[in-house]
Amino acid sequence: MTDKDLDDRALPPARVEAPPPSRDLLKAVEGMKPVRTRTRFGALAAVALAGLIAPSAVLARHVYRPDLGALPVGWVIAAAALWAGAFALALTAALVPRRGDVLPAPGRASRAGGAALVGLLAFTALATVQVPGVSLRPADAHLTLLQSCVHCASFVLEIALPFLLVGLFALRRLVPMGRARVGLALGAAGGAAGGLVIHFICPFAGTAHVVLGHAGGAVLAAAAGAALLPTLLRR
Amino acid sequence: MTATVALRLSTGEPHPRAGAAVRLAVAATAAPVYLLARWRAVDPEASEAAEVMGRYCRGDGAAFHRLYALLAPRLAAYLFGLLRDKAAAEDALQLTFLKVHEARATYVMGANPIPWMYTIAHRTALDELRKRRRNRVQLTKEGTLPAEPAADLTGISAESAESEAARPDPATTAGARAALERLPENQRLALILTKVHGRSTAEAAMIAGTTPGAIKQRAHRAYVTLRGLLRPEPRKEPS
Repeated sequence: MTDKDLDDRALPPARVEAPPPSRDLLKAVEGMKPVRTRTRFGALAAVALAGLIAPSAVLARHVYRPDLGALPVGWVIAAAALWAGAFALALTAALVPRRGDVLPAPGRASRAGGAALVGLLAFTALATVQVPGVSLRPADAHLTLLQSCVHCASFVLEIALPFLLVGLFALRRLVPMGRARVGLALGAAGGAAGGLVIHFICPFAGTAHVVLGHAGGAVLAAAAGAALLPTLLRR
Repeated sequence: MTATVALRLSTGEPHPRAGAAVRLAVAATAAPVYLLARWRAVDPEASEAAEVMGRYCRGDGAAFHRLYALLAPRLAAYLFGLLRDKAAAEDALQLTFLKVHEARATYVMGANPIPWMYTIAHRTALDELRKRRRNRVQLTKEGTLPAEPAADLTGISAESAESEAARPDPATTAGARAALERLPENQRLALILTKVHGRSTAEAAMIAGTTPGAIKQRAHRAYVTLRGLLRPEPRKEPS
């Protein structure tokens, strides 16, 4: 049996006779006024501007990491560009619909968010740089690795929270399906923004700390977004 | 390599990889042209829907009626495919258009509203199905059991209904429809969206809230399952 046979025999019709609009619907339409519609990049601009207030304030007021001057300039810039790129990629995929679409695509959002997280994990695992004698280890501050990771991951989550909240507001009527996937991308974007800030201020430069505390924080933020967005958007 | 092939061709001596090089050159030229044509291709129905939706957002009441006439038959068929109950599908259709009306400020001017409206219809149907699962036995307002389920929709127009020859064999169709009903929910949905309603895999993925790869896989599995269900059983030879 060919696919054509199956289509002819099994598939239901594509159109059926629809009932006329109900009285409630006609009543709602009768009194309607012109509305101001959305733009493709409006939500992105709003969430980015509102979410970036906290990271900017932290960077303006916080003391930078002690080994910043000793680290290779190229590496510092490349790492910052990667965190910023992951932030931009995930946030754009979560909030900007494709050209000609009304809604952001959940599949594309989760793929972009996942790719951003994998990129960050790989970079931090393979290309973290420290300057012996200048970069600190958690033990130098009388902390265990776990304590230092929890501290940094919670900081990343704090930075990610405004992105999630403003993003939630921007998406409140926009994502009927695939909310967890969009939430994942939004959380990953917030986590990447947190990772970018912490890249400049965290004094600990060990690979394990950076992978678990910084990139791990971004992963936790993405998981929080995936868990929170469907629940909160339903309310 | 292309230059070498051309040189060899001009001397009349065929290059051993000449065929592959020509195919590569043709593909390299055709691919951007095809992609550009696809990018520029405008679906007339989508552009009409976008134009009507734009007027609707600007407060034109007539545009609402045009939009309803354009999309209600399709959305009704889609909702019926999901809910399998005519009355529930009609209620869900009205609710879908009410939601579209309330959410029209979220529309992006110039965008194709059809996948967006399918997504809203899909969500409405899922809410209805969830409600049904919660209330396994639905009583009427008077506290009695509801009447018999509404009759099935045929989708056959009055004109074609008149010509008996145009009708498929009812027994075969009923068997095939029953097989479709037996498909897992997500496979049936992928098949209905892509094959019946002609949505692209990207659009179907957006409507169902999943990835295009998952939609392709589900539609393929649906075909495999349907084929298995509809395969005629081998006749037993009398011993």
